[in-house]
Amino acid sequence: MGKARRPVQIIILFIIVILGGYAVSAAVSGGGSGKPAVGDKPPAIKLLGLDGSVHTLEEYKGKAVVINFWATWCTYCVSEMPALQAQWQKWRDQGVVVLGINTGEDEMTVRNFTEQLGVDFPVLYDSDNEAVQSYGVVPMPTTFFVDPKGKIASIHEGELNLATLNDQIRQLLSP
Amino acid sequence: MITNTKCECGHQNRVGTVLCEACGKPLGEHANSTELLEMRYDGAARRSQRANPNFIDKIWNFFSSVKVAIYLIIITLIGASLGTIFEQESNFINFDPSTFYKEKYGTIGAIYYKLGLSHTYESWWFVLLLVMIGASLVICSLDRVLPLYKALSKQKVRKHLQFLTRQKVVYQGPVEGDGASWTERAVKPLKKKGYRVHTDGDALLAEKQRFSRWGPYVIHIGLIIFLLAVLFRGLPGLNIDEHYWFPEGEITKIPDSNLYLKNEKFTVEYYSEEEMSAEFRETGKIVPKLFETKAVLYECTADCDDPSKEPVLQEVERHDIRVNDPLNYKGFKAYQFDFDLTPKLRSVTPALVNVKTGEQYGKFRLDMTNPQQQFTLGPYTLELKNKFMDFSLNEQGQPVSKSKDPNAPAFLFLIKGPDLPAEGSQYIYFPKQVDKERFQQDAINDKLGGVQNTLSLDVLAMEDVDFIASSSYLNIRVDRVMPFIWLGLGIVMLGLIMGFYWHHRRIWLRIDDGILTLGGHTAKNWFGLRREVASFLKTMGIEVDEKQLDNGGNRS
Repeated sequence: MGKARRPVQIIILFIIVILGGYAVSAAVSGGGSGKPAVGDKPPAIKLLGLDGSVHTLEEYKGKAVVINFWATWCTYCVSEMPALQAQWQKWRDQGVVVLGINTGEDEMTVRNFTEQLGVDFPVLYDSDNEAVQSYGVVPMPTTFFVDPKGKIASIHEGELNLATLNDQIRQLLSP
Repeated sequence: MITNTKCECGHQNRVGTVLCEACGKPLGEHANSTELLEMRYDGAARRSQRANPNFIDKIWNFFSSVKVAIYLIIITLIGASLGTIFEQESNFINFDPSTFYKEKYGTIGAIYYKLGLSHTYESWWFVLLLVMIGASLVICSLDRVLPLYKALSKQKVRKHLQFLTRQKVVYQGPVEGDGASWTERAVKPLKKKGYRVHTDGDALLAEKQRFSRWGPYVIHIGLIIFLLAVLFRGLPGLNIDEHYWFPEGEITKIPDSNLYLKNEKFTVEYYSEEEMSAEFRETGKIVPKLFETKAVLYECTADCDDPSKEPVLQEVERHDIRVNDPLNYKGFKAYQFDFDLTPKLRSVTPALVNVKTGEQYGKFRLDMTNPQQQFTLGPYTLELKNKFMDFSLNEQGQPVSKSKDPNAPAFLFLIKGPDLPAEGSQYIYFPKQVDKERFQQDAINDKLGGVQNTLSLDVLAMEDVDFIASSSYLNIRVDRVMPFIWLGLGIVMLGLIMGFYWHHRRIWLRIDDGILTLGGHTAKNWFGLRREVASFLKTMGIEVDEKQLDNGGNRS
C-alpha cells in the first residue's frame, strides 16, 4: 500500500498549491479596486474608432502606446491636445501610437473637435464608459503609457506638456 | 530506525499503530499498562505516520496535525476580528479610503488603513490562512478517514483479552454451559437491539450505526466546498456587485455582461402630511414611500461584441423593481438603490418660423446626442455644424462645452434658402429660454449674419420637449457562488446530524473457560451504552448494575 500513497500525496499537495496559489495571487493583484497599476497589462479594449472601424490594443502589439482619456468639455484635455498631436507626429515612425479615448461624447462633437485642432492620431469612442471603468479613470485627462512589451510603464493624471510627454515617450522606448 | 511492529498474533502492523490491526492487542508503550485504551481511529496508524519522513511527508505531517489546525483556526479568528474594528472598504461605493479612515478615526484610523486592515477579508494573508485551513481540512481528513475505514471494514471478531478488559465498559463473570452455545443464544437479543452480530465460535462482535463515524468527515467535505466557494468568488463572472445609473426611457448596457436594462418609468411617492405622525411632521422631513423602476431586461443575441454595429436585443425579463423586490433573471439581480429627479433634456422638436410673416416651415427633431445633421424645411435646408451641451465661452471668447450633460445646450446651424447668401448663413439656437437670454442668442446671431431678423427656431408647445425625467440608480448583483455556499452548508448540516444523532456502538465478548469477558465501546453517550449492555446481560440471565460496568477513566 505504501507505493500507491506517494503519487496521491503529491497530487493532493499539487492541487492545493495550484488552487491556493491562484486564490492568494488573485488577492495580491486584485487589491480590491481592480484599477490597473504600473507594471500591469492594460485592460483589453474593443472600441469603435473615428475612422469607422473597431480597434483593440492587439493591433498595437510590440509598439509603445500612449492611451489618453479625454473629452471636449475638459479644459486640460483640450489644452494638452496639441502636445499629443505634436509628439504623435514626432514619434509615429518609431513605433509609438497615441490613442485618444473620448469618454462618452457623440460622433459630431468628437469629429468637429478633432478637425478643428487637426488631430489625426487614432481616436476611439468609449460611448458606454467601458474603458473608463476598466481603466479606473477618475480625473481627466488621464494618460497611460504602455511600453512595447505591453506593460503599463507609468500613469499620468492631469495635463501633460510637450516636454514631459516627450520624456515619457523616450523612456518607453529606451527604459 | 527499525521498530518491531509485529503483534504476537502474527500480524504485521504499520508504524504508528496503537492497537494491533488484527487482534486489537495494545502495542508498544501501551502494551503493559492497565489504563483505558486509546480508541481513536480504532488504534490504526494515521497515514502520515511514517518511519522515515521525507520533505513531502513533512509538509503532509504539518497539515495533518490537529494541533496545527487549531492554531490556524485561532489565528484566522483573530485576523477576522481585526476586520470588524472599523467599517470595511467594501461597504462603500464611491469613496476615497486613503482619507476616510484618517478623517473619521484620526491616527488610529490612518494606521488601520496603512496596515491594510480596511480590506482584511480580501488581503493576501487572510486568503492564505483560509487556504491553509482548507489544506489542513483535506489532509487531516484523508490522513484519518482512510485508516479508520480500513480498520472498521476488516474487524476481527475475536479480540485480544486485553483489548476487551481495557475498554471503558467492561464486564467479567462466570457463565454456565458451553461457551459457543452461550454466544449463539446472545445473538438474538443483540439483534433485537439493532446490532449487526458476527460470531466466531465463543467470540462475538455486535455493532451498530457505524455510519455516524463518517459524520465529521462529511462535515469536512461541506467545509471544503464552502471554502472553495468563498475563495473563488473573485473569478470573472461569478460575482458582480456594482451600482449604475439608468436614465428613464433609455436602454443602458450593463458592463461586463451581455445584458441591457431599460428603465421604462421611474416613480417615487412620498408620504403625505396626513400619513405622518405629528412628531414626525415637526421634523419637516420628507420621506419616500415607494420607489419603483419599471425595468425591462434585454439579452443581446447578435452583434454584441462589435461596437460598429447596433446590438440585437431580445427581451428576457420585465419587472417593477422596488426596494427589497429586485428584478431576478437567472441569478442576475437588480435592486433599487437610489434615484435622481433632475430632469435632463433628451430632445426638442422646434419649428422653423418666418419672423416677418409668421409662416411655419415645419418641425424637426433635434436629439441631444447623435442628432441628425441635415434637415429640409420648406424651401430651407439646415445643416447642423456644431453643438455644445453645456454652452460657455472660454477665455479666448470661443464657444466651448463645460460638460457632456445637456445643461445649456446650443446648436450651430448653417441655413441655406431664399433671401439668404448662397454659401448660407450661420445661426445659433439655444433650446432653453433661460439660455437664450443668458447668452443673448439674438446678439450672437446678429454677429453671425443676422438670420434672426428673417427666421427663428422655436419650440411651439410643451409636448415638443422631451425630457429624461429622472434616473434610477440600481445595484446590479450576480452571485453564482451562493448555491455552492448553501450546498456546502447543507453537507455540513448532514454531517452534524450523522455524527450527533447516531452513535457508533460496539460490543465484543468472548468466553474463556466459562468466564465471560465483555467490552463495549462507543464514540459518545456512554450512559446509553452501559444501559444497553446491562439490559442485554439481564436477558441473558446476568443481573448487573449499570454503574458496575464502568471501567473508570476519562478517556472516551
